[in-house]
Amino acid sequence: MMRYLILGGYGAMGKIIVKDLFETTGKDDEIIVAGRNINEAKRLARPYKAKRVKAAYADVGNIESLTRAIGRAGIVIHAVHHEFNINVMKACLKTNSHYIDLGGLYHYTKEQLKLHKNFERKGLTAVIGMGAAPGITNVLAKHASKDLDKVDSIDIRLGSKDFSTYKRESPLSNTYSVQTLLEEFSWKPAVFINGKAKFIEPMSGREKYKFPNPVGLQKPQYTIHSEIATLPYTLKAENVTFKIAFDDDFFNKIKTLRDLGLTSNDKTMGKETKDIEITTEILKRLPKALPRISRGYEIIRVIVRGKKDSKQTEIIADAHVKAENELIDKDTGVPPSITAKMIADRKITKRGVFPPEEIIPIEEFIGELGKRNIYIRKYQKNKQR
Amino acid sequence: LDFAVLGATGDEGRIASKYLIENGHSVLLCGRNPSSIASLIKNKKARFAYTDLNDIGRTAATLRKSGAKIALNCAEFTMNINAMKACLTAGLNYLDLGGLHEMTIRQYKLDREFKKRNLFALLGCGSTPGISNVMAAYAVSKLDSVEHIELGFAWKSNMKSFVVPYSIESIVYELTTPPTILKDGKFKKAQACSAEGITHFKGIGRQNTYCIVHSEVFTFYKYFKNKGLRNIHYKAGFPEHSHNTINTLIRLGFASKEPIEVNKAKVRPIDFTKKVLKKIKMPDGYKEFEDIWVKVDGERNKKKIRIEMDCLGKTLKGWEFAGSNVNTGMTIAIMAELLDREVIKGKGVAAPEAAVPPLEFFEELKRHGFKLYMDNKAI
Repeated sequence: MMRYLILGGYGAMGKIIVKDLFETTGKDDEIIVAGRNINEAKRLARPYKAKRVKAAYADVGNIESLTRAIGRAGIVIHAVHHEFNINVMKACLKTNSHYIDLGGLYHYTKEQLKLHKNFERKGLTAVIGMGAAPGITNVLAKHASKDLDKVDSIDIRLGSKDFSTYKRESPLSNTYSVQTLLEEFSWKPAVFINGKAKFIEPMSGREKYKFPNPVGLQKPQYTIHSEIATLPYTLKAENVTFKIAFDDDFFNKIKTLRDLGLTSNDKTMGKETKDIEITTEILKRLPKALPRISRGYEIIRVIVRGKKDSKQTEIIADAHVKAENELIDKDTGVPPSITAKMIADRKITKRGVFPPEEIIPIEEFIGELGKRNIYIRKYQKNKQR
Repeated sequence: LDFAVLGATGDEGRIASKYLIENGHSVLLCGRNPSSIASLIKNKKARFAYTDLNDIGRTAATLRKSGAKIALNCAEFTMNINAMKACLTAGLNYLDLGGLHEMTIRQYKLDREFKKRNLFALLGCGSTPGISNVMAAYAVSKLDSVEHIELGFAWKSNMKSFVVPYSIESIVYELTTPPTILKDGKFKKAQACSAEGITHFKGIGRQNTYCIVHSEVFTFYKYFKNKGLRNIHYKAGFPEHSHNTINTLIRLGFASKEPIEVNKAKVRPIDFTKKVLKKIKMPDGYKEFEDIWVKVDGERNKKKIRIEMDCLGKTLKGWEFAGSNVNTGMTIAIMAELLDREVIKGKGVAAPEAAVPPLEFFEELKRHGFKLYMDNKAI
């Protein structure tokens, strides 16, 4: 019997994780939906009509509360905001629980890696950044790099297209956390160039890029992402970049807010609150979109260039994510669920803190993604120089 | 003191106060935040008094003590009734920058009170309402009958940088409130900010226009209905970049007046937005241009004719901080001077089209760098 505790289990990503775990774990396994809003947690757990899906109170801002909630839990999946990553990891160390999260937006990732020895000593595993990006991206980078003798560069590009029809559209079509989005748009993105990490202008590098059909032409831009904090070291790449595409309307709206100063760290309304926090709260209150038919397609592309048999070689690994009457964000919710199951089934036995590329059994992971309509394609482009 | 300026610490109040002080008048600067007009306060002709228009009694006492005979209300239009009541209590004549539709109707209800105290309240004394009203009256005076009046403003800047065009609270109200229009002799509600197509404006060029709420629809009908007026339509022209920015703020909830809780404190999004936008600096070399326009359709000698009036304003030397808003803050100050000199006379509550002698007023505007046209010919 395994006990899975999902922090933020009723959030946008948590919901997907809970559903996937429910569909893939055994009848004796417990799934605990945890968060600060116990009523929300209960509301999410109820429709499963299963005793093994439970609700629990947990405040990720408070280690004591976390320790109590985790109790004797086996695996904690942390789907609340990344600023609490360290807190939750510390609570896992206290309660002897394994840990999985969805990413640390570069800066937190660096801090998290420092807890490697603590997890190793306790015989625990922490997989950090295990969603779609980071997560699938890291695994794809490893997958592609296996075909090379030496890796020079890794470029990650994300693009998606929404084919849904709506009863009501939202003024802001974000699919993941508003806070993360605003941070991605206002924090300086890290890029790894010629062996060195460099911070560049937020929202820069936006240019046309053609993804395979049906995503097609998009305009990816640099954003801060945790892949840059690990791939240069784990895969020994001299250059690593990350770009994600947002549609023009969305980009322009967030850019407007940023340019007007509404996403800054100033405290215009007093000492307590940053402007970005007020903006986040305002945006959180926007009416959500009501899809009539939910349909979407995302392509997660990792381009790895390097040498194979002394020849300059380019390997492309794509994840094709097709969503029909489900959220496109399943590609973020599914990987932590698969990983948790792998830890429970002892398919992952390494102990310590690891980014996905260092710990995920690739072939098996790709197989699991396939069962959920996420398909990986890898091919080689040869370039003579 | 000669004049009292309510809301002197705001954008328009600052312009009006600077104008009056530079013209040698002594001015009581009333407001809540003196830091925004620190350099004005230093002037020997100026005195600052902390004033909260929510407190009518104290405002009246401050006004009375100043000895001023005329108050210029440059505060948010939502404060107009309070400001008028304070003036009634303290015995001051009153001018303001307009109250859009609903507030203007409420303000006219104080007509008898002002008459009783032998005081005059002139409503809507900026660019529009204000210059637009006097131009309309001038055009109407040239006609035997009037059928249709269209009016509005259009502005542009030499750079596509966002600068708050005028009171963000007024803009939000104008763009989100279903406007009242006069159609076939009846007031009707139209859709908020409905697109009215592209129009070519003198000195501005082609621009998208939107139907918005404005006080002229009410006052023009009041004063010109005896000339047969049956249709009035108000149109606003914003440059695309500015309109898109404001629209984004409104659509994303940044203009909401509903308080939200952040870190256990209540914040009204509009207050937050206003404060953040205040920090936006005008870029070096930034200039604005504005056309206040009126088109009057009617008959003269049984012939249908249209009279087109335009008042072109722009960023003026020495007034760079004000952009094209100079035509609002300066106009209320010019009208206050004309009232002081008894060129403008009246009792009770009135709007400029009923009280301001056009030619004298136009001369003053021209003297300060504005250009006036009737049917494309300079007046």
